[in-house]
Amino acid sequence: MRVLIIEDEVRLAENIAEVMRESGGYAVDIVFDGEEGLYMAESNPYDLILLDLMLPGMDGTTVLQKLRGGDVDVPVLVLTARDEKETIIAVLNAGADDYVTKPFDLGELLARAKALVRRGKGQRSPILRVGDIEINTADHSVRRAGNPVSLLGMEYRVLEYMAHRPNTVVSKSELLEHLYDFNWERFSNVIEVYISGLRRKLDEGGSEKLIQTLRGQGYMIKR
Amino acid sequence: MTARRSIQRQLITAVIVSQLLLAGGLAALSMYSLRRQLRTAFDAGLQGRSMSIAALVRYSEDEPPKLMFDGELTPRPLDAKHPDAYKVYSSDGKFSAQSPNWKERFDRQTQRQFWNVTVGGTSYRAVRMAELPVLDSEGAGTPATTTLTVVYAAPTEEMNELYANAGLYLGIGSVVLLAVTAGLAMWGIRRGLFPLQALANSAASVSPVNWELRISEEAQTTAELGPLTQAMTAMLRSLQQAFTQQREFLGNAAHELKTPVAILKSTLQSLLHRPRQSEEYRAGIEKALDDMARLEKLLHSMLRLARAEQWAMGNLKRDLPEIELGATCQSAMERVQPYADLRGVKLEFTGDGKARMRADMEDLELVWANLLENAVRYSPAGETVRISVTSDGTGARVAVEDHGPGIPMPEIPKIFDRFHRGDQSRTRDTGGYGLGLAIANAIVGTYGGTIRVEATGEEGTTMAVRFGRSC
Repeated sequence: MRVLIIEDEVRLAENIAEVMRESGGYAVDIVFDGEEGLYMAESNPYDLILLDLMLPGMDGTTVLQKLRGGDVDVPVLVLTARDEKETIIAVLNAGADDYVTKPFDLGELLARAKALVRRGKGQRSPILRVGDIEINTADHSVRRAGNPVSLLGMEYRVLEYMAHRPNTVVSKSELLEHLYDFNWERFSNVIEVYISGLRRKLDEGGSEKLIQTLRGQGYMIKR
Repeated sequence: MTARRSIQRQLITAVIVSQLLLAGGLAALSMYSLRRQLRTAFDAGLQGRSMSIAALVRYSEDEPPKLMFDGELTPRPLDAKHPDAYKVYSSDGKFSAQSPNWKERFDRQTQRQFWNVTVGGTSYRAVRMAELPVLDSEGAGTPATTTLTVVYAAPTEEMNELYANAGLYLGIGSVVLLAVTAGLAMWGIRRGLFPLQALANSAASVSPVNWELRISEEAQTTAELGPLTQAMTAMLRSLQQAFTQQREFLGNAAHELKTPVAILKSTLQSLLHRPRQSEEYRAGIEKALDDMARLEKLLHSMLRLARAEQWAMGNLKRDLPEIELGATCQSAMERVQPYADLRGVKLEFTGDGKARMRADMEDLELVWANLLENAVRYSPAGETVRISVTSDGTGARVAVEDHGPGIPMPEIPKIFDRFHRGDQSRTRDTGGYGLGLAIANAIVGTYGGTIRVEATGEEGTTMAVRFGRSC
């Protein structure tokens, strides 16, 4: 899952990013002003945007309106220091999915972020089921046919992303875009390494193959 | 506790006392004039009677000749119990005649024509009429040279009674009228003071939630309340302004504090969210201390502003030394120099060294430092920020010029607002908390000076502070 943080407080943005990367397994991009945030949000496939309201360049509400006006339907979580009803109503009406008021709790922010990502994928329960695989998006634990499977962080992220889109071909570049933030180098063979790792661990029990490879197109999980 | 003065009571007392005085005075005057009139009438009666007595005198031819009255024709006594008494005698003293009840005590040797006398417990008023001619239609041998003197006394009981009755009626009448008019006056005064009560009621409904003073029609149309209602309205307006300002400040301050608190909290939480090495904890704590320092700086600025505004409002007179403005500019420059170096901006000072005023060095240094910091913030690297001091007959002027992008027109009225930040460069790396200019403005205000944007445009901005001679 890839997250964009648009927040002009550098320190705050970095702290949020750190926790999201380490505890949430998210790929995180940070921008410090509204205009750049809008550009980034429009040109990259994010799974969640954290948006501050008081921004230089372009204020958060305007960014939100432009995003929603321009067909970007990524879940948006607003970070605001203003907690008056009017502001919150205006923000929600402008298309925000949720908000937290500063000073917020990072744990709560992370939980809300996960919930929003889930809902963005049309999934309400934190437990994701594909075939006999059970993925708990809250604590990142995975079971196949009831047996726990231990995965690496990136392996889990690839699995979760694909499990959100069963019966859909997911290309390598799509995976890269969603799992790595803007600053990371993109090596497509990294994905292959994780896919083979996933296959090895998940298919261990000898049941049917979970991840199929469609040559030249990408990967797919069948329901 | 001292007793409270009541306007109503005072007014009523004043009205009643003046009414009493008026009634008393009028009564005394009426009684005096009545008495005079009664007397005059009584005296005229006395004179008439004594004349008629003189007219009734007859000579008898008897030897010795004597005077006598025509008893049939003597006037009827006014008072049957106390008949009039009189005595007639001729000027030569040869003849005299008197009424049966005459006593010598009635007569009194006095120059006055009338006198009062009490005989047998009854008050009489008497008259002496001298040199009356003797009218005798019949007598032939009347000594023509002789004239008559008549002393005539009549009881005054009736007149006194009349007088006393008049006094009684006047007294009762006065008291009744006084009671009625006092009642009317009290009612009128109470009624007249109603608008005051109405005004007090409307004043009581004013609160921090409802600043509107609804002045009733009655109070509005009362001339005497005009100055009071005007003063109250003006006072409320300025109070509301101050209150709103304070509330806004508090709201803004709370809001501004949230961000540094959020940063500090996020730093600590991200430090705690997983186990770390001791070096990492150390680095994290240092980061948190950094965040603390920012919070502290903001708090300090807010306190400084609050204090300056308090001074400005309270017109606090401080005992201040006379200082030279250029010196304060130079020390402010030293303070801003590290920041200017960081941004690659040069600082320059010009001054004539003659601008002096009574001020606290530190206050002015802070003003110049804030202006300089602001100018440096908006200056591109390599440019120069100039601070200059000039003075003339009217006062001193300190100007800070930069070659930044200028302030957009709609921003100009807002730049001195608390927590206002120019939008162009609001990232926290460069921007402050939007308090610098507000602090500068408040401090300049305490010295009776003005601060304004003298020029702004693409070629830069000039901010100027002016202090009058009297500062």
